[in-house]
Amino acid sequence: MGRTNFVLAVILMLSALSLVTARYQGRQLFMQNEQLKSQARELDIDWRRLQIERAELSRNARVDQLARDVLKMVPIVPERTIYIQGGTP
Amino acid sequence: MKRLSFFNNPIKRVAFPLWRGRLVLIVLAGAFLTLLGRAVYLQGIHGEFLQEQGGKRYERTITLPASRGKVFDRQGVVLAASIPARAIWAIPEDANDATEEQLKALAKLLGSTEKDIRAALANEDKTFVYLRRQVPLDIARKISALGMPGVHQLPETLRFYPEGEITAHIVGFNDLDDKGQEGIELAYDNRLSGQPGSRRVIKDRLGRVIEDVRAVNSPVNGADLTLSIDTRIQYQTYKALEEAVELNKAKSGAAVVIDVQTGEILALANFPSFDPNNRQSMRGQGLRNSALADTFEPGSILKPFTVGLALELQRISLNTKFNTGNGKFYYQGATISDVTKNGVVDARGVIMRSSNIGMTLISETLQAKEMWGRFTELGFGQPPQIDYPGATAGRLRPWEKWRLIEKATMAYGYGISTSLLQVARAYTAFARDGDMVNLTLIKRDDKPVTVRVYPQGIAREVRSMLEGAAGPEGAKLAKVSGYRVAGKSGTARKIVNGAYSTKYYRGSFVGFAPVSDPRIVVAVSINEPSAGHYYGGRVAAPVFASVVGGALRVLGVQPDAPFESSVVANSSETPR
Repeated sequence: MGRTNFVLAVILMLSALSLVTARYQGRQLFMQNEQLKSQARELDIDWRRLQIERAELSRNARVDQLARDVLKMVPIVPERTIYIQGGTP
Repeated sequence: MKRLSFFNNPIKRVAFPLWRGRLVLIVLAGAFLTLLGRAVYLQGIHGEFLQEQGGKRYERTITLPASRGKVFDRQGVVLAASIPARAIWAIPEDANDATEEQLKALAKLLGSTEKDIRAALANEDKTFVYLRRQVPLDIARKISALGMPGVHQLPETLRFYPEGEITAHIVGFNDLDDKGQEGIELAYDNRLSGQPGSRRVIKDRLGRVIEDVRAVNSPVNGADLTLSIDTRIQYQTYKALEEAVELNKAKSGAAVVIDVQTGEILALANFPSFDPNNRQSMRGQGLRNSALADTFEPGSILKPFTVGLALELQRISLNTKFNTGNGKFYYQGATISDVTKNGVVDARGVIMRSSNIGMTLISETLQAKEMWGRFTELGFGQPPQIDYPGATAGRLRPWEKWRLIEKATMAYGYGISTSLLQVARAYTAFARDGDMVNLTLIKRDDKPVTVRVYPQGIAREVRSMLEGAAGPEGAKLAKVSGYRVAGKSGTARKIVNGAYSTKYYRGSFVGFAPVSDPRIVVAVSINEPSAGHYYGGRVAAPVFASVVGGALRVLGVQPDAPFESSVVANSSETPR
């Protein structure tokens, strides 16, 4: 009788301890999850920003101006183009 | 005195009456019952309310904002996107404790003056004052680094338009709360804006989220939108328009480019424009999308439609001759005049020389009802089926009320008002062998809806007349190297105080190219040119030529007209 009680008490003790650790680990994982989520948000924001930056850099007005002024390019005209007929494969 | 032990205390020997013990018992039992009752009341009857109140003290509902969808052009270029930003707000009473240096630094970061900020903080009774909204994140970080008392930040979003004034009229803009106000942003606000979500969490003392109480209600982000616009063509159109408006000292200008095969609007430009990234520039004429929202009397650009109708009904043939005399014609109590003396011409000549007298003679063969019917079929006076706020229907009066003189003027485009987009759409009838296409600003994946307006033969006939009208004898400036173009110029006098002005004009040119297999319709209109020239063939045709040349190059269309190549001769040389 006394022996059974002792074993049950030990099991109860262990179960209580494991509950505490499980709760603790749960919290830890939750926090980690939150952190990663916010990191994902940050990256998404970064991506949006970069996409806009790319759009800003490839803006037609800018490309046009750079091509004309810096690279001294001229618009294509048919006179200066060789048209190649697409051959049948 | 002899000490007595407790047990031998004489007082103890006194016999108490039985009721005293009972009384104590009853009082104690009563006290316990009261406690029990209170417990039942708090836990059972009132429990829900108290639990709720408790929850309010440690649980928080966080709104999860949905991000607004992006707007792309047909090539996937970003035209509008939202980026996170911060609203800077302050509690005046606390913020006035800030030091001089802090205020100065804040003013500098916000791009305003110290005086303005002090003025905003002057009223200490207020508990919430916006200092600046939609501040970019990097500046917001610097502001929080200042550590000013009473200055706080709220997350919000900032809409950014990389192409700026080039696509401003199409895309439109949002208000400070990111709700659509104009253009596509307004028309597709529901689709772009999405649905914000929420989550209920427990927060600790430091405001960190500890636990989700309920399942997270995730936000639904707004859907992205792909427009039919091609930014490259849009840019060329805008630039050509800007140059023409400045060269001719015009009040404004508008141009539309339509893909003939799909009915997609490839470019739609207005000048002057505004920068949607700068709210200061949003005022006056620049805000008007005049290609869609303004109507005007189109003038000669409407002539081909009447000629086409007369040919279709066989009231005239290609050989019918019209005597336009010496350029003055008295008709129904009014004088109709031509710019040049044209003598005897056929229908082709009427279009090529843009003879108003010839058109009057053609209108004589038609009934008002027939003309009204055709104009209605072409979409004039009808609300355009396009998702754009403020797109106008124009005005076409019922045929029963037309007088004879009005029927004549209607034949050459006076007494009727349309938007530039409506005229451009009507011209797709000639470019598509009589089949008019429905327009869209959204990229199209399926087949467009079309309406047959003219029989194929008639449409081709008119097309060849229009090629003549854009040729050496007509609007020479519309010529595009390497491509056959067709089109009609128009010059309309503007109505000022109910009478036709002799000072204010609107020069237009509408046409399409390449004639052998039309790909684009381009419509250009220059409003109130004041640098000497005002004829459509003079002010609008060069814009048409430059837009057609640029757009066909971008679309990779092979030339269909002979041209002198300067490369073939060089191609045998060794490359340098």
